[in-house]
Amino acid sequence: MNILAIETATPASSVALGTDSELLAMSLQVDRRGHVGFLVNAMDYCFQQVGWTPAELDAVVVDVGPGLFTGIRAGLATAQGVAAATGAQLLGLTSLDVLAFRASTGRRIIWPVVDVRRNEVATAPYRPVPGGVIRDGPPEVVGPEGLAALLDSTADDTLVVGDHEALPAATLRGLHRAKLGRPRWPSADVLLELARARMAKGDLPAPDDVRPLYLRDPDVTINWKDFREEAGWSE
Amino acid sequence: MTETPVVLGIETSCDETGLGVVAGTAMRSNVLASQVEIHARFGGVVPEVAARAHVEAVRHLAHRALSEAGVHQTDLDGVAATQGPGLVGALVVGFTFAKSLAWALGKPFIGVNHMEGHLFAPLLGDPGFSPPAVVLLASGGHSQVVHMKDWGDYEILGSTIDDAAGEALDKTARFLGLGYPGGPAIDREAENGDPTAIAFPRALPDRPYDFSFSGLKTSLITYVRDHRDAGTLPPIPDVAASLQEAIVDVLVAKTFNAVDATGVKVVGGGGGVMANSRLRARLQEEADKRGVTLFVPPRDLCTDNGAMIAVVGAHKLARGEDTGYNGDVDAGLSTPFVTSRPD
Ligand SMILES: [Zn+2]
Repeated sequence: MNILAIETATPASSVALGTDSELLAMSLQVDRRGHVGFLVNAMDYCFQQVGWTPAELDAVVVDVGPGLFTGIRAGLATAQGVAAATGAQLLGLTSLDVLAFRASTGRRIIWPVVDVRRNEVATAPYRPVPGGVIRDGPPEVVGPEGLAALLDSTADDTLVVGDHEALPAATLRGLHRAKLGRPRWPSADVLLELARARMAKGDLPAPDDVRPLYLRDPDVTINWKDFREEAGWSE
Repeated sequence: MTETPVVLGIETSCDETGLGVVAGTAMRSNVLASQVEIHARFGGVVPEVAARAHVEAVRHLAHRALSEAGVHQTDLDGVAATQGPGLVGALVVGFTFAKSLAWALGKPFIGVNHMEGHLFAPLLGDPGFSPPAVVLLASGGHSQVVHMKDWGDYEILGSTIDDAAGEALDKTARFLGLGYPGGPAIDREAENGDPTAIAFPRALPDRPYDFSFSGLKTSLITYVRDHRDAGTLPPIPDVAASLQEAIVDVLVAKTFNAVDATGVKVVGGGGGVMANSRLRARLQEEADKRGVTLFVPPRDLCTDNGAMIAVVGAHKLARGEDTGYNGDVDAGLSTPFVTSRPD
């Protein structure tokens, strides 16, 4: 089983190539605006390292968010293009899944955070289980106070991973059961590992079901305001 | 490379997801997922909504464009996509999909300037279209008079100093309560109106190739307010017809100023505003008067579409040019209009 993993939901873009048993190549770049220029180069590099052609792929897995909207769409459209060209199975996983899976811990509830701009983060609770994690609540978008309230409302010890550096320093002050941890970014090697498990279970979505997870509606009110600013045109 | 490369073109610079297949200049398919109805709810294009709609549509449309063309993707000679100018979030979808499709198929990729796509569009209606020509590009995003000296060698002679022609139509239509998009709404309303009823101003008579539509907007507001203050209703069909006539007058005059100055025998048109029936008729009249040939593509190839991107891609491939897979979109990409060719 030959799998390509594409990760562009945060400023860290990465591409990985591997089989059901091992990671064979990976390329990574941290650049908030660099997703589009990075992707094909990175895929090309990985395929050359491994000596495969795209036609030998069985599956393409992509991070569908939450995260940077343009990054998510660049990754998904790239995955769709490769899947269309090769007939490979398309899979989508969330950035929160990837972060929580890598942050394995003994007993703490894991709260991965992903910066979704406008001073908000996406997050969800994950409970560690043998061999991985299980999501324990719905993903949601919260501000710093909202995150603090979520962490404060649980009786469990918590581990906050992901881009917590994007939060104001005071956010988690006074939350004694909360600990900060790694990783900061979701990455393609973990995405690949999760995809393997998903495929082993035979959990294969239809291509149309692999869609971006935005968690926020487009802000069309900005558009109306623009209209009103053109004096005389809104009457 | 063959003289007639088979190319899939993908256009996602604004609110239309357009995909088309050409063989050289022969159009094999042209499919579109228009977002007009979505954006009509907001009275204009909402960039984030546009980008979301592209990502839902592009995969399906690629499949449809190829199957309607009767082309298997392995038979493509290349894949082209709009690189800019446009909305960055929207551009990224078509551009990254096209690049990865091309790369995974082992085919060349060509990033295309959207404006050059419009310049090539007349070819899809009539392969006889050829520079030297003067081309009027008029849409919601741009209004330009271009001297096309040769393929790839363009000079912008004139452009709008404020609103684009399509923008002026959208805004005035919105003001008159005629809905979005404004061009077709005004075109429809004008059918029953008198174009000479109201003397709206024609701007910039002293600048032979440039446009301005803000004075027209102001004049319309004043006209409608005067009616309202007097307690009467403005005659909407007459207002629409007179307004349309003023816009068309300016577009036609500037275009043929350029035709006369350059001495070209070929005139072309592109962009959504070129779907306006009055503009098409007036351009034809002026062309006939001078004995020059007018090439305006069918209406669905005037508005943004994938086939026009494909035909630029095919032209470049036939000359051995491709872009490679490293490029990024360029939302502010200037018109590719250099005054001299590098070779
Ligand atoms: Zn256009």
